[in-house]
Amino acid sequence: MTWFLSLLACAGLFAFSSVSVGAAAEHDTAAPTVHTDASTATTNTPEGTSDHHEAAPPSLGQQFLYSYLTAYMFCLSIVMGCFFLVLIHHMFDAAWSVPIRRVTEQVACLIPVLGLLALPLLIFAPSVFPWMNIDPATDHALNVKKAWFNRPVWTVILALIFSLWTFMAFRFRSWSIAQDKDGAAIWTRKARVQAAWGIFVFAFTLTAVCFSLMKSLQYQFFSTMYGVYYFAGSVWTTLITMYVVTLWLSQPGRPLEKVIFYRQKHDLAVLFFGFTVFYAYIHFSQYFLIWNAAMPEETFWYVDRERGSWKWVGMLILFGHFIVPFVILLNQDIKHNLAVMLPIAVWAWLMHYVDMTFNVMPVLYPRGLHLTLLDPLCWFGMVVFLGGVFWKNYLKAAPYPLKDPRLLEAITHHEIPAASQPAAHR
Amino acid sequence: MAKAITAPLPAPHGHTAAVVKAAEPPRELAREPLVLNNHSLGWITNAIAGICENPMPKWWLPAFVFSAGGATMMFALIAYLISTGIGVWGLNQPADWAWDITNFVFWIGIGHAGTLISAVLFLLRQKWRTSINRAAEAMTIFAVVCAGIFPVIHTGRVWFALLWLPPIPNHMDVWPQFRSPLLWDVFAVSTYGTVSVLFWYVGLVPDLATLRDRAKTTLRKFFYGFFALGWSGSNRHWSNYEKAYLILAGLSTPLVLSVHSIVSFDFAVSQVPGWHTTIFPPYFVAGAIFSGFGMVLTLLLPMRTLFKLEDIITVRHVELMCKVILATGSIVGYAYGMEFFIAWYGGSPYELWAFLRNRVADPFIFGPLFKVPPAPYWWAYWMMISCNVISPHLFWSKKLRTNMVLVWLVSIVVNIGMWFERFVIIVTSLHRDYLPSSWGYFNPSWVDICTFAGSFALFMTLFLLFMRFLPVIAISEVKGVTPQADPHHPLGGAKGHH
Repeated sequence: MTWFLSLLACAGLFAFSSVSVGAAAEHDTAAPTVHTDASTATTNTPEGTSDHHEAAPPSLGQQFLYSYLTAYMFCLSIVMGCFFLVLIHHMFDAAWSVPIRRVTEQVACLIPVLGLLALPLLIFAPSVFPWMNIDPATDHALNVKKAWFNRPVWTVILALIFSLWTFMAFRFRSWSIAQDKDGAAIWTRKARVQAAWGIFVFAFTLTAVCFSLMKSLQYQFFSTMYGVYYFAGSVWTTLITMYVVTLWLSQPGRPLEKVIFYRQKHDLAVLFFGFTVFYAYIHFSQYFLIWNAAMPEETFWYVDRERGSWKWVGMLILFGHFIVPFVILLNQDIKHNLAVMLPIAVWAWLMHYVDMTFNVMPVLYPRGLHLTLLDPLCWFGMVVFLGGVFWKNYLKAAPYPLKDPRLLEAITHHEIPAASQPAAHR
Repeated sequence: MAKAITAPLPAPHGHTAAVVKAAEPPRELAREPLVLNNHSLGWITNAIAGICENPMPKWWLPAFVFSAGGATMMFALIAYLISTGIGVWGLNQPADWAWDITNFVFWIGIGHAGTLISAVLFLLRQKWRTSINRAAEAMTIFAVVCAGIFPVIHTGRVWFALLWLPPIPNHMDVWPQFRSPLLWDVFAVSTYGTVSVLFWYVGLVPDLATLRDRAKTTLRKFFYGFFALGWSGSNRHWSNYEKAYLILAGLSTPLVLSVHSIVSFDFAVSQVPGWHTTIFPPYFVAGAIFSGFGMVLTLLLPMRTLFKLEDIITVRHVELMCKVILATGSIVGYAYGMEFFIAWYGGSPYELWAFLRNRVADPFIFGPLFKVPPAPYWWAYWMMISCNVISPHLFWSKKLRTNMVLVWLVSIVVNIGMWFERFVIIVTSLHRDYLPSSWGYFNPSWVDICTFAGSFALFMTLFLLFMRFLPVIAISEVKGVTPQADPHHPLGGAKGHH
């Protein structure tokens, strides 16, 4: 099964690569295409011109920036997904996730590193974001949002958001480590209060960041669901990542050996299954409503993604992001079968990367998927770098919250009324 | 100081057993038990079964007569509507959907919490659901009954609608419009209603057997025995029951999402500014859960006091429900914000008009700020915002969410707000067509108002009958979450702690 799924993934990747690279090469020199929908959509080019499809293939630098952006959005998904898990852990006063919380806290602390990794995108922004090369006075869709979509404001907002996230993530971690020393309830309370307001900050700022970095590539497009769509895919990928990390850390001789049991892995797999459905529900709803209403100012975004081999990428997302994991994970026991779950994890990472590609790359290659060596290199480089920073910092503190008030409940499955609780409540 | 416990850990699925030191939670973070005062299992049976076995309290009969009278009024008004025509309502052009569809969506929303509590919380292994799921499931079914009335009577000629709506083969080869979300509603709501009834009934079987075994009259023994399906509590029965319950929970969960998503499609698939927005499906589902929990609190808070069930429906249960309301209210608030944001971001003048000039612009702040005249229904929009976005935030305070009177009042405010939400979506989007010559203003007629009031009366009538004849709390499920029922629990029966 493992080999089969791995082979399937590789075969799919290479099949798309070989087919569409040829198609894209052909199209890049072929006759121009025309956006048949919203007139505003024709400005959708990194150069800011309306005839991008006639333009020469992108430069190496531009290709690098787009590959970098795709990898960046992938990594941001996992980091923000872990940040979300920390937030809801405190919000729900959860117990089961206590043993894995130090991991999620540490991944969330990669936010400032991601902030630094965003610098190339900010410095070379005009080569990535088409709207930066357009005079708002000539474009209605840009003109209405010029209060946000102008380079200084856009940059400052991103900087503020990353600073705020960093502040919150480091506070969570510092309180958690402080509790390792005294086990005091005050640290739990502080984290709970921050999670309470933090969840609102998270919701609105994550929406703003995915609008800024990904949706703004085609700034004419609008969908109230887009923030939820990025969120759903992010948490989906995070959960399977946490499953793998937890599994690895709980092997004999590793830091979480004594506190990770069947329950945590099962809960992570069940949540992953739940988010498989949630993501499909969100993406289907967005697609279906846009398709059904058939308004050109919205449909152009999907029309772009049904052109050439992008159509098959869309089909891959439909089957690979939803149907394959859904059908496999329906079985309860399979959630503990590593021969299946590990390939599923690899598959999920691939699918999320495909999803990010589906969002980013049609701007650069409107006629079909075009894979270059820079795509895997950027992804691999960023993941390895962030993974290395994570591991270095993770080892600096206890591997799990040693004196968390809910640790006992997490490892015994039972709610434990305190011995000192009043008799009337026993 | 918290006491350290060396927890002997379970070693399922081939794990090596390990030992780790962990402390009991400090007193301030200790979780309250789900059943207070460590009552015996027999006490739980007596407390719940006694409600429908003993004579009802004095308030029950007047309440029932009043509610049944209101329900009768509603049926009389429906007869008047059918005999006279839709003109007895306040509908006009362009507001040709108004109170009727508002009421439909409102009641469908109320009907969401029951299945959410029963199915979704069951799958998530949330044990606190056991004290409230039975009443919530009953509420779901009664709300679906109320919801089903409005779209059917809106068709005017009900006898035709009953033939048109289902796809019945006929010699004319005429079929319903399968591309219409209104037809999808027919399938979604009827499926949801059917599965909800099945789920409710399956959960009732062990408790019906308890009532059968305790029955003192032949008639009660016969009826409870008939519906208990020969339940004997054997291991085999429990095993089959658990499987059936799990399967129904699995079936119900997607239905919870699908029903209100499809209801949202009634609006979102269109191109009407204010209706066409992609976030509608999850936003409607969140709103439905929000209003459903509001109604659960509105019903259960008086019930727990009147029937002295405070030890079973505890303050912890109420607090948890308040938190669900807070969470879903916040999601709804996010959706309101995104709608308005995208109306600006998208640059569609029609969309911006629908939000700013038809809804948000009030005479005092936003109208003058944006230099636009007040929206005709600004009061409805701000009523919605106040009730749905602002009022749930009172529940951040533990002091406030443990104040039962305040929680009850906020639960009513939530319901008012969610009715207004549907009113705002439907009427404010319709009352001004693209041409100013096609602008109108909807005013409800007395028939509109009384029919809606009558639907509440029908709902209460059914709920009062439910309280009279069936156990309002799932007896067997509540027993299952007590420490006594779990021999492995540190305070459980096998340890002799009770």
